[in-house]
Amino acid sequence: MKILIADDSRVMRQIVIRTLRQAGFDDHDIVEAEDGADAYAKVGAEKPDLVLSDWNMPNMTGIECLQALRSAGSTVPFGFVTSEGSPEMREKAANAGALFLIAKPFNEDTFQEALSGVIA
Amino acid sequence: MTTLDSGERRRTSDTRPVITDLIDEVTVESIAQEAWISLVGEDEVLVPLPGGPVADPVSSWVDVVGPWTGSVVLTTGRRTAEELTRALLREHSPEVLEDEDVADAFGEIANVVGGNVKAALPGSSGLSLPDVGEAPALRNPDDLCRVELQWRGEPLSISVQGALPPLPAVS
Repeated sequence: MKILIADDSRVMRQIVIRTLRQAGFDDHDIVEAEDGADAYAKVGAEKPDLVLSDWNMPNMTGIECLQALRSAGSTVPFGFVTSEGSPEMREKAANAGALFLIAKPFNEDTFQEALSGVIA
Repeated sequence: MTTLDSGERRRTSDTRPVITDLIDEVTVESIAQEAWISLVGEDEVLVPLPGGPVADPVSSWVDVVGPWTGSVVLTTGRRTAEELTRALLREHSPEVLEDEDVADAFGEIANVVGGNVKAALPGSSGLSLPDVGEAPALRNPDDLCRVELQWRGEPLSISVQGALPPLPAVS
């Protein structure tokens, strides 16, 4: 399985990768994107099976990326990993077609809970 | 006759809240503790004691724009910010840290703390991308919620501070 991790923070991408491993999802190919526009391009080029995306990023935000993907007909499973976990943001994410929203700070239990039904 | 300004008049007579109406130090500290455990390490704690003056300070912050507008600002010494960066990077920590690494890691901590402060505030607000450097100026000493902490014995403060000057006094 190929997982695309989109975050403008390199440090946070590494923490997400580390937490995926700690949660037991350690046998997957990882592709990294540094903002929403990069993620959009890499969904086309890399054909990931899942996108884990930050919300607030330069160039294109995570929600704009998701909306652009859905407008272009992509059905790639998409979840947010973001510091903004308010009910309002969760509703916006769900309405745009996101499967889940993991709020930062997170731990391996949060990842297991959100991803166990998504990652085989 | 002189009227003491207790803040009550402001709270009841206009719609612009100050941060102490919306969040308290205990909540800010609790948000920071959770961020530390998740990002810095499971055994990493922030001790709620003032750590004294900060040598060679550096700040990271995010801006919140909404019913309350201001910044969530973390300030510590440059050496401590570097140590935090190494803690976040763990095995990926390079021998020589670049300024860019410190800006990324220390900024991301401000992003996580600030995002959770934003979520604790009423109404709908926007959150900026993090910035790192010299802290934004304090515009209104009454619109400030500040916690002073220590991490690994070094001082670190978190200020949730309004971006706007005080309203003119109502006479």
